[in-house]
Order: sequence, then structure tokens, then C-alpha cells
Amino acid sequence: MVRLMDIGLERLKNLVAEMGEYSAKTVFLAIDSYGQGEDLMDHLYVRSKEIQKMHDEASELAVELIARYQPVASDLRFIKSCMEIGYGFLRFSRYAFDISQVLRLFGDVTVCDKKEVIRAGEHVKEMVKISIKAFIEKDIDLAKKVREMDTLIDKMYLETLKKASKTTNNNIKCIISEVLVLRYIERIADHATYIADSVVYIVSGEKRI
Amino acid sequence: MIGMNKELLSVSSKERVNQTYKIETENLNAWFGTKQALKDINIKIRANSITAIIGPSGCGKSTLIRCLNRMHELVPSAKVSGKVFLDGVDIYSKNVDPVIVRRRVGMVFQKPNPFPTMSIYDNVAAGLKLNGIRDRKRLDEIVRKSLEQAWLWDEVKDDLDKPGASLSGGQQQRLCIARALAVEPEVLLLDEPTSALDPIAASKIEQLIVSLKRDYTIVIVTHNMQQAARVSDYTAFLYLGRLIEYDVTAKIFSNPREELTENYIAGRFG
Amino acid sequence: MAYIKDKGGCSRIMQTYLVRKFKDKFAYAVCLACVIVAVIPLGSILFEVTKNGLPALNMEFFIEGPRAIGEPGGGIANSIQGTLILIGLTSLIGVPIGILSGIYLAEFGNNKFGKIVRLTNNILAQFPSIVIGIFAYLTIVLLIGSFSPLAGAIALAIIMIPIITRTTEESLKLVPNTLREASMALGIRRWRTIMSIVLVSAKNGVVTGIMLSISRIAGETAPLIMTILGSQWFFSGLTEPMDALTLRIWRLALLPYDYAHTTGWGAALVLIIIVLSLNILARILTRSKFVLRGV
Repeated sequence: MVRLMDIGLERLKNLVAEMGEYSAKTVFLAIDSYGQGEDLMDHLYVRSKEIQKMHDEASELAVELIARYQPVASDLRFIKSCMEIGYGFLRFSRYAFDISQVLRLFGDVTVCDKKEVIRAGEHVKEMVKISIKAFIEKDIDLAKKVREMDTLIDKMYLETLKKASKTTNNNIKCIISEVLVLRYIERIADHATYIADSVVYIVSGEKRI
Repeated sequence: MIGMNKELLSVSSKERVNQTYKIETENLNAWFGTKQALKDINIKIRANSITAIIGPSGCGKSTLIRCLNRMHELVPSAKVSGKVFLDGVDIYSKNVDPVIVRRRVGMVFQKPNPFPTMSIYDNVAAGLKLNGIRDRKRLDEIVRKSLEQAWLWDEVKDDLDKPGASLSGGQQQRLCIARALAVEPEVLLLDEPTSALDPIAASKIEQLIVSLKRDYTIVIVTHNMQQAARVSDYTAFLYLGRLIEYDVTAKIFSNPREELTENYIAGRFG
Repeated sequence: MAYIKDKGGCSRIMQTYLVRKFKDKFAYAVCLACVIVAVIPLGSILFEVTKNGLPALNMEFFIEGPRAIGEPGGGIANSIQGTLILIGLTSLIGVPIGILSGIYLAEFGNNKFGKIVRLTNNILAQFPSIVIGIFAYLTIVLLIGSFSPLAGAIALAIIMIPIITRTTEESLKLVPNTLREASMALGIRRWRTIMSIVLVSAKNGVVTGIMLSISRIAGETAPLIMTILGSQWFFSGLTEPMDALTLRIWRLALLPYDYAHTTGWGAALVLIIIVLSLNILARILTRSKFVLRGV
């Protein structure tokens, strides 16, 4: 039997998925534009505001579903997770904006070595993509993959940080910007991991694997 | 799901908010003898929406909807003052025939009450037949349409001659809904329509009610807050004959304005 | 079960158990005995009437009128005809009035006037039928100038109306109010609701009341002496004297001849059969098309 609640759950899922796609694109834009040295801060600001609105709408809908239908078991887990996943997407867009802000504040960083940032960026793009796919398809294996991928980002971030602490390079701008952007990328990766954890929680009820 | 309306949820979200009012009351007061059951009710009910009326027992919920189709005055010693506008016309003005009002504003009661001496077919056709419509073809058509709208057609199409009272409780209530729909009303008043039914039958009726919203304006009285939360777009909270709060359902159940409302829906009294 | 293990090994509850069990059985036995006592006269009447009446029944008995007094043979056809005419005529007058006033009392009678009507009606129902006979004699018989079935029917209708009124009122009041509301909420007018929903739902009770009143008037004798008088002849007009079974039985019983007594028993048997078959007919007619479930 189709329940009245199912319509709401479907809508919540679509809303969060839509939000995920949009925030993923925002992350891609930020990472790509940083690599190409293109200042998109104003554009990304608008985007992050839009995502903020989507997040408000999704959480309002989630609260409405709880108030209306008193969900239990998997329904309840799904709604709770949607709220958390929505928040993750909101953070994606926020860090994307932060990345673009680094470019704006530091101005021209073309002389710097961006190899490491670009490598981490490509990696985190993949993580973001997979985490959204895992949510839409409720795929526990994809979710596990995201968690595995996170270790590489953590390692890259830590190494860059160590390198920076010992550096003698006098182009301080390059170092700070690299560390900052990697820091944001690391945060995005963390949130992608949380999203993956939530997917696991929806499907199995387990907090972590 | 058949006819399920996607608009059920979220009056909170941007789409929608239907502003056409089907029914408006103005300082509506009602009495039983000397006991005042309703005090200065002002409520505007939107067309093609489901409005739930909740409140503790004896708060005047049923009286309120009975004032909307002039059923209240059938009780000896009952009295009404104030105005009730149906499409802008006061149904309590002198030149309005209450019988015509009741044809436009149908009602379904707490306990399923099919006419015991009539077949399923005759139950549905009763409102038309007893108002002088005899054209068999037209009756057949309306009976079928009404039973379909009430999600009962498939279950009874081969037993139209069987007595209405032979159906199960949930089916009987859907038969009563079909009977009310057959006279082609614009508004449907439901007075605790599921309180005498088991949960499964009740849930079916709830879904049915939601599906009817497209064609009718629905007002449902319920002492089951969860039911109000599930099916309605707007919720009115009545307490001791007064309208305490009236708002979008999601708002009432997540962020009520009045403390009294909060205390009631949170189960702190009532 | 701690109470069973009392000091003496037998608790109070156990001590009284047998007493209570006996009381229960005893009460049942008393009830049964009373029922038997009540049924004995009914059974013996039926038995006597059948035993004595059966020999009288033959073809002649049903198609001929009575012969001259003292001459055996003949029949009671004119009396059967008279009784049937009286039942028909009385019902024609009494049933509509009785039902309509019953409807009034049940549906609109919740006021002072209704109370007065109800009281009057109940008093009328207790009236000795001979008084009603005298009343009909003083008004109608003297007015028309002759004994007549019309006067008889009016006298019997006066007996019939309060019975039907009361049973109709009571059966209408048994119809749940939710049905009236359901009908009114469909935009059906009050009168239509009463006639097509309420009265139909109360049909069985109303018909039972009518049957009850017919049985009652079919057995009346006293008012008939003063209104239709009795006659040797068949029906010959609404203003001429007429015979009825009860009158015939009464007159035959007074005669000193054996044949007359046998004919009387036969007439009594016929009367019982008429009333019985009317009752059965009514049951068949009102048998609900539907077997109701849980209403």
C-alpha cells in the first residue's frame, strides 16, 4: 500500500538529490576555476545562497514529515539522514565559495605550483560524485568506497601541512594559498565521507562500517 | 496511487497557497439551550483544500461544522447567530433554503450510517431519488461515478443489489461518502469519519479524503491529531468554543503560535 | 487462589458457592414454570375450539347464510363477510389516522400539545369498548337513523387508532437519529425523510401495531351490538344492519340447540383462523429483503 508519507519522502529525496547535484557542480566550478586562475567568487556566492535556500526548504520539509506522519524505523532514519546529508551539501557549497575567496584575496597565484592542489581537487571531485550517487541509489558499496578514498586526501593534506611547516620558500603566498585550499578540499572530503556514512545508516541502521 | 494529489505536502513551500475562500464565518455563535458551544468564530476556509478542526472533546468541533450546512438547527433548542458565507452568500439569511445549502455542503458522520432498508445502489442514489430524479440512465451513471470516487466501485460493482449494511465498517463509511458525493456537493464535511473504524480501514479513508481534495473543499473534524497532521492543509484548533489558532498544518504541528495549541498537540492536556 | 485455603480448609466463597448455584437454578425453574402456566390456557383454548369447531366446517358452512332459528344446517357466510368488511372499513379509517398521529407524536410531538395528545391517546386506549359503542350509537346510529357497518367501523376505528398511534410512535422513536441526520444532510426534505427513510426503517414495528389492532377489533362484540346490530342477511348497504362473526358466536351461544353450539364453535375457529392468517400475511409482506448485519 502506498502511504501518504511516501509522497513526502519521495519529494524530500528529490529535493536533497537536486541540491546535491547543484552543490557538486559548485564544488567542481570552484576547484576548476582555482586551477585555471579564474575568479568566480561572486558567482559562487550567489550559488551558495541558492543552496542555502534549498537546504532550508529540505529541512522544513523533513520537520513537516516528522510532525505529520510520526515516521518510525527506516522512514525515520531516512529523514534524519536527509537532514544531515543536506547539511553536508550546504557545506560543500560553502567551502567552494571559500576556495574562490582564496583566489580573490591572494590575487594572481599562477607562479605557484598547483600540482598537489589539482591532484587533490580531482580526487575530491570523484568523492563528491560518488557520495551523491551512493545517496540516490542507496548503494552501500559506493559509500564504503568514499570512506576509503578519504584516507588519501587526509594524507595529502597532512603532508602539505608538514611541508609548509618546514619550508624555506620565500613565496609565502603560494604556501598559504596551497594549504588553505587543500584544507578546504580536505573538509569537503570529510563531508563527502559523512554523507557516505549517512547512506550506510539509511540502509543498514549502522552508524559506521 | 489513484488521484493522489502531489500538493498534499508543504503549504510551507513556495508553490501554492490557494487564496480563494469557499466558506467564511463571521462572528459565528452557537448554543444548545443556554449553553454556548461556539464563541465568535471567524474562520476562512480555502477552496479545494483540506481543513482539519481539532480540539479536546466538547470544544465545539462538531458544532462548528454542523453550522456550516445548517444541521445544527435540527437539534431542538439549538440556536445560531452570526454569518456563514458560502461563496459569498450568507447561508443564514432569510431567503436561503437550508435544504439547498445541505445539497451543496455534504456531510459524512462519525458512525457509518447507510440506510438499512436500502441496497448499495439505492443508498448511493437516495439523495437523488428522494429529490425526484427518476431517470435510470442518469442514476446509473451517477451511482457508478460516486462509487468510483469513493474507491468502492471495484469492491461492490457485482453486488449493487445487496444491502448497504452487509458491507464491512470501512466499506460502509466509503458508501456513505459515495452517497454524499452523489448529490454533487461542493463542500464535504466529515465529522470524525474514521473514529469507528480499524486502523487499516481508517488509513484507506484518509487517503481517499486526500484524493477528493481536487474536486471538493473538505473540512474534517477529528479528535485524532495525527490524522489532522497527515491529511490536512490547514488546521484549526478549537478550545472551549473559541478558535484559538488557525494556520497551515505544518506550521501548527511544528511551530504553533499559541501556547495552548502547543500544549494540546504535545499531549499535555486534553 | 489463596482464598480457597482458609483456616477451616474451606473459604466463605466456597461455602456460599453451592447456595448461589442453587438459587440460580431455582430462579430458572420458577420462570419456566410460569411460562408453562401462561401457555396452558392458550393451548387449551386452541384445542377446545379446534375440537368443537372442526365438525361444523363443511361447504355449506362457508357459502350459506343462517337458516331460521331452530332449523339446523345453513352457514355463517354472511358473518364472515361482515367481519371482513368491518376489518377493511375500520382499517381504511383507522390506519392512516393512527400512523399519521404516530408520526406527529414521534417526530414533532416533543412539546406541550404533543404531551396532551399522548396522554389522551393512552386514556382512549384504556377505554371500555362498550362505552365507545354507546358513543357511536348516540352519534352515528341515531343520526343516520339505522344500525350500519359505517357506525361499526367508526366505533372500531376509535379503538384501533390509539393502538396504532402508540406502536407507530414507539417504532419511529427506535429508528436511530443518525439515519434522519444522514437523510437531512443529503438535502432531503423533512417530510420525505420521514416517509421514505424513517417510516420504512420502522416498517416492521408499524405493521405489527396494525396487526395487533386488527386482532383486537376483530374480536370486539360489545360495540357491534350497538352499531351494526347483527343480521340474518348478507351485506346490503353501508346504512343497513350487518352481521359479524363475534355477534354470530354470541347469538348462537345463547340458543338452546346443540347444532347452534357446534356452529358457534365453528365460527370461533374461523375467526381465529382469519386473525392468524392476517398476521402471517403481514409477516410475509414485511419480511425484510435484507438480512441485517450489525445495525
